[in-house]
Amino acid sequence: MADCRYQISQGAYIKLVLHALKHRSLSVNGLLLGRLIENDGGAAAPAVQISDAVPLSHSQIGILPYLELALIQVEEHFASEGLGVVGYYHANERHDDAELSNAARKIGDHIFRYFPQAALLLLDSKKLQDLPTGKGRDPVVRLFTRDSSRSWRSAGSQGSAQLTTKEPSANAVLLDYISTEKWTEIVDFDDHLDDISKDWLNPNLFK
Amino acid sequence: MATAVEEAQLNQLEIQVDNGGGGAWEYLCLVRKLKARRSDKVLKHGLFILNNPRARSKLGEEEFTLYEQVAFAAMDCRRNDIAKDCIGALFKKFPGSIRVGRLEGMLYEAKGAWSEAEKVYTRLLADSPLDQVILKRKVAMAKAQGNSAAAAEYLNKYLETFMADHDAWRELAELYISIQMYKQAAFCYEELILCQPACPLYHLAYADVLYTMGGLENLQAAKKYYSSTINLTGGKNTRALYGICLCSVAINQLTKGRNKDEKDISDLQSLAAEGLLRDYKERAPKKLSLVTTTLRNIKMVS
Repeated sequence: MADCRYQISQGAYIKLVLHALKHRSLSVNGLLLGRLIENDGGAAAPAVQISDAVPLSHSQIGILPYLELALIQVEEHFASEGLGVVGYYHANERHDDAELSNAARKIGDHIFRYFPQAALLLLDSKKLQDLPTGKGRDPVVRLFTRDSSRSWRSAGSQGSAQLTTKEPSANAVLLDYISTEKWTEIVDFDDHLDDISKDWLNPNLFK
Repeated sequence: MATAVEEAQLNQLEIQVDNGGGGAWEYLCLVRKLKARRSDKVLKHGLFILNNPRARSKLGEEEFTLYEQVAFAAMDCRRNDIAKDCIGALFKKFPGSIRVGRLEGMLYEAKGAWSEAEKVYTRLLADSPLDQVILKRKVAMAKAQGNSAAAAEYLNKYLETFMADHDAWRELAELYISIQMYKQAAFCYEELILCQPACPLYHLAYADVLYTMGGLENLQAAKKYYSSTINLTGGKNTRALYGICLCSVAINQLTKGRNKDEKDISDLQSLAAEGLLRDYKERAPKKLSLVTTTLRNIKMVS
């Protein structure tokens, strides 16, 4: 699994960052949807394409029932589009906390059981903070992966598995969304449970 | 917690002030009254009044209330320079005040100067050892440094004295959940339910923790507390309705249908599922088919 490549679409990427920005003082999490592109006997390494993200929660991440419920509904919805849950994203409560929390690992483990190439993305607050001044194309999240023998590892450390954004302009578009305060419109599964007329698919976000 | 009406009023006033329609002071008062956290707006509009000598002098004694409010907002927005000026003005007017002393401690916190903040708080506590705000600041400081265990310890100590502080019990429960100490979290919610038996939020939170712990006994108890949540909210709580369904599925998996109260249970779960479908049909028709399918998959509706 070590040489799997990961590519995230601009839409999924922007959604997860905006979700974290909406709830700056809380931990947030969500699911990553996509598919695995096998290397049909060719030279290319297998790749995980992350094409969408569903924001889940901004409170009580250690609680099980609504996570289970969200997994059931999200899987069912995306199955018709041929997409499955390929990963999980998480943003920590504290700005200076760059560690993968226990809860995040456990949720990651659960997804890993069904999708061994699962990606775990942790928002990098420092990179996000530097975004307006930097010109980098690197996504402001850190990728963690694991295989059956090891626990979650930061992918940057061995430089094998890499995360790139599908559209090179993703960070520029993201900045544009941030400056227009688009994050206020993000709806997560938590919001949906408070008011079911709010849609966790965020269909109007990019309109 | 602000009601929906108050929140709408606040939003309307905010738009008015943002567009130069006046009413900044009324807006700031309402923010204080509702304990809303709108630091960026408070900083902007509060500072505008403070920098305008005529507007400021019109406030009379309230001027210092505004200095305090802006100091909090400034620290929240990482404008420690502004906070420092506000606190300076307050110190001049109220030398030796504990309330201003707290602000000084918080400014150290905002700068990440933990040991200085600690010193300020220790000094203040020597004068008034039961200052609730300062005791809570110590909890917050432990949390801000990522030390959940110490935060829980401080909170426990605080609760020995202030047993009736609901928010503190809730904070402790959430703290325990964040470090996966569910049994301790459950205890906090039990305490809250005893204090306020008619508050559905605590029943729901307790059920959530019980469900997370799992096991037949906990699941059955969770189902009861989801039921009481439904009872207390007149069937309006989506989470509790889903909770009933999830509990039923989990219990069925554990008992494989061998359960003596099976009849009541199946009635309850189909009522919950029907309630959900009715709500979705009315308020979220776009999601109705998805919810129907998923409930059918877990055999909640036929």
